Amino acid sequence: MKSPAYHLRPNKAAERFAFIEAIKRLTKLGGNLEEYTYYGLGGPYLEDCRLFYEFYPEISMVSIEENEEVFKRQQFHLPCGNLHLEPKDMKSFITQYEPNDKKSIFWLDYTRLEYGCFDEFKVLLGKITEKSMIKVTVRAESDDFWDEYKNPRSEKIEMFQREFMTILPDPSIIPPRDSREFANLLQKMLQIAAQQALPAEATSLVFQPVSSFYYTDGKGMFTLTGIMCKRSNKWRVVKAFKDWEFANFKWEKPTRIEIPILSTKERLHVQRHLPCKTSRGAILRAELGYLIDEDIPTTEDALEQYAAFHRYFPYFLRGTP
Amino acid sequence: MDKANQIKYEVLDFSPVKSFFVSMLTRDILLDDAILDLLDNCVDGILRSGRTGGSKPYAGFKAEIEFKKDTFSISDNCGGIPWSLHEYAFTMGRASKPGRPPDPAGTMGAYGIGMKRAIFKMGKRCLISTRSGKDQYEVEITPDWLGEESEWFIPVSSAKRSGEEDGTTIVIGDLHDGISKKFTDDAEYFNSELVGKISGHYSFIIDKGFEVIINGEPIKPRATKLAFDRSREEGVIRPYIFKTKSGGVEVFLTVGFTRGIPTPSEILDEEKSPKYSSLEAGWTILCNDRAVLYCDRSELTGWGEAGIPRYHTQFIAISGIVEFKSDVASNLPTTTTKRGIDSSLPLYLQIKNKMRDGMRIFTDYTNKWKGREEEAKALIQKGEKLSFEKIKEEAQGLSFRHISTSFPPGDQYQPKLPLPFKPEPTNRRISFTREITKIRTVGEYFGNPDMAPSGVGEKCFNTIYEEAQRKK
Repeated sequence: MKSPAYHLRPNKAAERFAFIEAIKRLTKLGGNLEEYTYYGLGGPYLEDCRLFYEFYPEISMVSIEENEEVFKRQQFHLPCGNLHLEPKDMKSFITQYEPNDKKSIFWLDYTRLEYGCFDEFKVLLGKITEKSMIKVTVRAESDDFWDEYKNPRSEKIEMFQREFMTILPDPSIIPPRDSREFANLLQKMLQIAAQQALPAEATSLVFQPVSSFYYTDGKGMFTLTGIMCKRSNKWRVVKAFKDWEFANFKWEKPTRIEIPILSTKERLHVQRHLPCKTSRGAILRAELGYLIDEDIPTTEDALEQYAAFHRYFPYFLRGTP
Repeated sequence: MDKANQIKYEVLDFSPVKSFFVSMLTRDILLDDAILDLLDNCVDGILRSGRTGGSKPYAGFKAEIEFKKDTFSISDNCGGIPWSLHEYAFTMGRASKPGRPPDPAGTMGAYGIGMKRAIFKMGKRCLISTRSGKDQYEVEITPDWLGEESEWFIPVSSAKRSGEEDGTTIVIGDLHDGISKKFTDDAEYFNSELVGKISGHYSFIIDKGFEVIINGEPIKPRATKLAFDRSREEGVIRPYIFKTKSGGVEVFLTVGFTRGIPTPSEILDEEKSPKYSSLEAGWTILCNDRAVLYCDRSELTGWGEAGIPRYHTQFIAISGIVEFKSDVASNLPTTTTKRGIDSSLPLYLQIKNKMRDGMRIFTDYTNKWKGREEEAKALIQKGEKLSFEKIKEEAQGLSFRHISTSFPPGDQYQPKLPLPFKPEPTNRRISFTREITKIRTVGEYFGNPDMAPSGVGEKCFNTIYEEAQRKK
C-alpha cells in the first residue's frame, strides 16, 4: 500500500514528463486530445492525474484502484472534476473495458514483473482502437536473479524461465546482469506479446513503439510506450515523433534515465548553456569547472543525462501548505 | 434399356493432382513443424553418412536456418543427397521400387513428403543444391512448374557447392504472403516459437552434438531432467524405469520428478494467474532421438484414464520420457508429420500401460505428501537432476526385475519412494486467504515485500507464538 512520493523517484518523475510530451504528439496523428480518455493507476496521491489535468484538461480520466483504503484516500485527494475513480483491479477493468470506438491512453503502471502484466497488455491490445496509446511499466531489477557476489540465483532464474516461457525469445535465456540488457530483454518480451496479440495475418493493426526507457529510483524499472495504428500507417506515427530525441520506432535498446542530483544553483547555471546538440556532458562539465562524480567520464555521462532530460526534470522545493 | 442412353463405363484417371500436394497437403502441418521436417532430413543425412557413434553421435554436424522477408534457407553439412536416392528425395510420396538401397538404421523419413511439403508450405520458388561425394547437383522449382498440372519432371543441373563439406542447401523464395508476414511483421514471435519448439523437440539430438543455428544464434537444448538420488540407500527419490524390445523396436521409459512438488499457495498462484509452469510437465515421446510429442499432459499419454488422475497443477513436478528406437521408421508409433503419436499402434498401447504404472507411483507420492510439501521438496532436492542419457547410464547400476507377465515383457526398476511417517496428530494445517496487498504489507514489515504468502503466514504465527510463550 506504500507508494513513494515522486520527489523520492526523480527519474520516474522525468520519465512521466516524457510521457506528457508523447501524449502531446498524438494530435499530430489527426484529431484532438479531447477525443481521448486516460486510464491509469493513480495511486494514493493521484499525481499522474493531477499532472495530466494541468497539461491536458480536455482529456477525461479514469483511475483504477483495487485497494479499498487507497481508494478512500484517492477520494480525499480527487484533484479535478473530470477524473472518475474506479474501484477495481486492472485485470477486471481490462476484461470489462469496451472502447466503443473511442480513443484511449492507458498506463499499465505495474510495480512487479509477472506474466499477468504481459497478459493484460495482450488483452488490451486486442480491444483498443486505432490511434490509442499504451504505456507499460514493469519492474526491471536484474538483482532479482543475481546475488551480491554476481552469482546467478538458479531457482529464481528457473522460475523466470518457467513463468515467461511463452514470451521469451529463447526459453533457456538467463536474465542478463546488465540493467540495459535486462531492460532490453523485457522490451523483447513485450514485442513478442504484442505480435502474439496482433498477428499480421489476422489484423491490420499493429502496436508501434514510440519510446522506451529504463531507470532506477531504488528499484530498476522499464517502460515502453506505443501507439496502435494500421500497419500501412506506421509512417504517420514515425512522422509525428521523428524529431523527438527519445523516439524508438524499431524496438532498439531502451534509453537510460539516470539524472544526477544537482543543486538548484547548479541547475540554473548549466541551463544557460542548454539546449546544445553535441558533447553536452563535456560542455556542462567545463561550465561547472569541477567534477560531480568519480572522474571525468562519469561526470560527463551524468551531465549528459542532465542535458538530455533537464526539461523533464522537475524542481522539488520545500514548501509549507 | 435404351441402348442409346446407356453410359459407357471407361477407365478412371486416378492420377495425382499437383495442386493437391502444393495447396492441400500443406494445410496439415504448421510452419514450425514443416521446418522440423527439414531438420529431420538433416539428421537422416547424418545417419546415412555412417559417421555416427559414441555418446555424441551428431557432433560436427550442423544446420543453419535463416529467414527474412523474401527468403527462407536451410543449409547443412549432413552428407547431402546421393544421386542414388534422388527418386526418393524428389518424388511426391514414397514408392517402393526394387533396387532402392535400404534405409540406414534410425532414419525417420518414411513417407517421402517432408521436404516437398515444407517447401510448398513456404513459397513458390526453391533451389535445392546438394553435394554427396562425387554427386553435385541442383534442382530448381519455379512458380511456372508449380502451376503446370501435367508437368511432373524437373531438370537437374550439375552445380558446384561452395565449401568443403557434403551437405544440402535449400533456398525458398516467392514466399506466400502469410509466411512473409511471419518472417517480418511477426518475426520476434515466430522466432521465439521456432526456438522454443526446436530447443524442446530437438533437445536430445542437440545434446548429442548436433548444432542448430537460427539467424546466427545457436539453439540451446531444453532437456527434461529427473531427480535421481545416487546414494545406495533405498527409500530415496529416483525415477521409475521400464525397458523392453518388441517387434524390432527398442523401448526405454522413465518417469519421475523434475522439481519439488508444489505447495498449496504455489498451486493457487498458478491457477490465479497463468505462469505456464505446466508447459514443462508431462510426457515426451522420442522416436529415433526426435521428440514427436513434447510434454504432453493428455489422455494420449495416460493422464486421466485407468485410475490415473487428470493432469492438474499439483502434478507439475512429474515428467516422463519414452524412447522408441527402430531401424525401420514405419515401426515407430508416429504420424506422417512426425509430430504426433499414432496412439492406435498396439506397441504404443502396451507401453502406455507401463507409462501409467510409472506415473501412478509419482501421483501417489504427491498425494501422500500433501500438507508436508516442504519436506517432500527437500527429499526431491537431495537428488541430482539427470538428463535422459545420464539416467540410461545410471540405470546400468540399478537392479531391474524382469516382468514376463507384461505386454511386452521387459525389465523394470520400481523405486521405493520415501513415505511420510503417519499419523502425526501433533500437527494441524492452518490455511486462510488474505488480500495480496495486505500480504505484501506484512511481508514488507518482515523485511521482504515479495515473501511467499505461506512464509508470511508462518512468520506471523511464529512471531505471535514467541510472544505468547514469553507471556506464559
